[in-house]
Amino acid sequence: MGYLGGAFSRSERRLIVLAALVLLPVFFMPVLPIWQMKLWAPQYREGLTLTIYTNTIQGDLDKINTLNHYVGMKAITPNDFAEFTYLPQALTAFGICALLAAFFNRRWLAILGWVAFTGFAVVMFTDYARWLYDYGHNLDPRAAITLKAFTPPFIGYAKMANFKVLSLPGLGTILLGIAWSLGPLIFWLERRTAPRDASS
Amino acid sequence: MKGKISIIIAAAVLLGVAAQFSGCAGSKQSAADKVYVKPGEYDTYYAFLSGGHSGGVFVYGMPSCRYITTIPVFTPEPAKGYGIDEESKAMLKGFSWGDAHHPGLSETDGDYDGRWLFINDMPNARIARIDLKDFTTREIFGPIPNLSAAHASPYPSPNTEYVFAASRFSMPVPTTKLAKIEDYAKDFNGIIAGVKVDPEGHMSLGFEILTPPFDWDKMDCGKAVSHGWAFFSCYNSEMAHDLLEANASQNEMDFVAAVDWRAAQKAVDDGLADQIGGAPVLDPRKVPGIIYLIPAPKSPHGVDVNPSGEYICANGKLQAEVSVFSFAKMTEAIAAKSFDGDKGGIPVLKFDEVLEAKIPVGLGPLHTVFDDKGYAYTSLFLDSQVAKWKVGAPWDVTDKIDVYYSIGHLTASEGDTRHPTGEYLVALDKLSKDRYLPVGPSHPEGAQLIDIRGEKMELLYDFPTYPEPHYGQLIRAEKLKPLKIYSLAENKNPWMIGTAEEARVERKGRRVDVYMLAVRTHFTPDNIQVSHGDSVYFHVTNLEQDQDITHGFGITFSSLDMQVEPGETKTIAWYAAKPGIQPFYCSNFCSALHQEMQGYVQVNPRGTPVASVQRPDAATVEEVAAILRR
Repeated sequence: MGYLGGAFSRSERRLIVLAALVLLPVFFMPVLPIWQMKLWAPQYREGLTLTIYTNTIQGDLDKINTLNHYVGMKAITPNDFAEFTYLPQALTAFGICALLAAFFNRRWLAILGWVAFTGFAVVMFTDYARWLYDYGHNLDPRAAITLKAFTPPFIGYAKMANFKVLSLPGLGTILLGIAWSLGPLIFWLERRTAPRDASS
Repeated sequence: MKGKISIIIAAAVLLGVAAQFSGCAGSKQSAADKVYVKPGEYDTYYAFLSGGHSGGVFVYGMPSCRYITTIPVFTPEPAKGYGIDEESKAMLKGFSWGDAHHPGLSETDGDYDGRWLFINDMPNARIARIDLKDFTTREIFGPIPNLSAAHASPYPSPNTEYVFAASRFSMPVPTTKLAKIEDYAKDFNGIIAGVKVDPEGHMSLGFEILTPPFDWDKMDCGKAVSHGWAFFSCYNSEMAHDLLEANASQNEMDFVAAVDWRAAQKAVDDGLADQIGGAPVLDPRKVPGIIYLIPAPKSPHGVDVNPSGEYICANGKLQAEVSVFSFAKMTEAIAAKSFDGDKGGIPVLKFDEVLEAKIPVGLGPLHTVFDDKGYAYTSLFLDSQVAKWKVGAPWDVTDKIDVYYSIGHLTASEGDTRHPTGEYLVALDKLSKDRYLPVGPSHPEGAQLIDIRGEKMELLYDFPTYPEPHYGQLIRAEKLKPLKIYSLAENKNPWMIGTAEEARVERKGRRVDVYMLAVRTHFTPDNIQVSHGDSVYFHVTNLEQDQDITHGFGITFSSLDMQVEPGETKTIAWYAAKPGIQPFYCSNFCSALHQEMQGYVQVNPRGTPVASVQRPDAATVEEVAAILRR
């Protein structure tokens, strides 16, 4: 069966359970945001916020949409995002996958889950970037103010018209990142302990 | 060597002296520092100054003395569309003028609670209630029956159980009764009214007391030990009906009336009142135990109760003294029935038995307010000064300060409550003359901010006010928590619409209702068909939920304009007087495309068929709905 057919040590199994648990608050409804955007303008010193969860988007949507309509940007509404209908379920599935891998102690299942999770993350980040591009480029030509097409910042700070925008991953994404990084950590731990196992 | 040392010593002494001076300067803030509020920061007090004959209330921030806003009350005010939209217009009952005199903050346990501000319209005997959640007039009670000119008003009682009104001009009662002016003393009467305030702030008439035709002038409520009583000063106990200037200034003693308002209410509840002019009126000749008269020298003006409620201070006006009466002595004399006859059935107490002290404050004492350290501050109209004096032995005047000029009222920080804060005092002057840049013969009024924290009063600032503040109220800013917007979710107005799909024009006979929404930067619907002779009701809902995005709605070639705040629905009624095109627009600059926020009414000649329901076309609805998607 080789490497894929192998099992984990006790501590590694614990880490896999931990990965599943770390996912918990992220996939259970909007508890932790996965992304956050803050927008400041001279007349909005207090700042406007957009907070994205796995299943919805919250914050000063109405205010932002009212302002965005001047430049013809499409209104941002949670209903537009099919992602919100499968993102929590997908994350739940990855969590369950990790639990199963730990419970049945199957290395192949863990690796399969981690690879799929990685692929999923890449797809979702690309998807998010596409949305950002779409909002900034798909502008209504009838809008009162004609703006050069733009892309709001994926991550980091940018100046757009009279707004300063800061876009940062939320605590949810950071937790997802920690869960993800437990994969390579376990792999590294196995490598480190393997020679010792062989000698015993 | 010796010389050098002495020079060093001298230099050291000089430095020491200089350090003393700079030390002084450091510890004592300049007046400029004390009134300076950094850009973007808030004042620590709200000041509500009555607008007098301009009919509203001015709001200032203290100590910066920055004018913040005007609350229209008794007078239509286009800046806020007040008295022009249907709801506020109905509240004014056809009046377009009022003389707003005495703002009175609602109280709980004798201290400001920040819920409401009451203010009287003297000539028309009305009392208004301003809600401090939105700084908007929400109720106008009156004209109060039988009562002409409510000057001694409203002065809320310590738990805002009552506001009061007493007649400055006596009249035949009821006021519809015909009488001759020369029969004034016989056929005219004064009225003291107690107006009940319910827990929601709504006012209703509790009782009226019939008095001889004195001119009731000022009042204050008892507090703490004197809770349950209200005190009213009067002039013209001579009962003159002409040349009052002289004829009403002859008696050495006029009166302060002490009203036991709980006893008065009980008498009404026990059915002892006569129904006159639609009001329950108590006649002291038939109903004893509700009102007493304390003789007070020479047409007293303000009558003010100190924070502990023990002393009633009558400001002499034509006498250079404040007469301080003891509430304890008054109740003793009443219990002992130690009276000196009666006036119109009202027992008269003996001056010497009730008097506690006489304070020689200066010329023309009008009003007194208090601090937290046991001092009183009396305005001196003729001396153009404020006198500070000790409440209690040795009852002496400890300081005086000049004001500019001819001070009427003065107001101290929470200075008419049980717990004054003793920080600031605002002098409200009747004349400003040469104090500000000249603007022609019509002068602004003057006001001075005075620091009363120290032993000596200190003038901090001098600022003009628009005519004409009488009394004011100074309340700690943190006691008020005004709304920033109205919540659309809580908008219960029957004419409210929330979506583009609901925007429409409905016609029933000659009445047309326009259900309109306003949001940056359009009205929907914005093209409206009506017929000549239609009464058109524009019901405009401002769908914004963003702070300070007010939309106005003004109609050209009309006197109609209203202001609709975020989340609010307001109605304006417009008569289509002639065929043609009539533009309307947003009159409150709202955004970059404010100029484009406009529309047209097409008034068709009579007989032109007009659809009974008009809706904007589907494409417009969709476009607007797309913006509003929530």
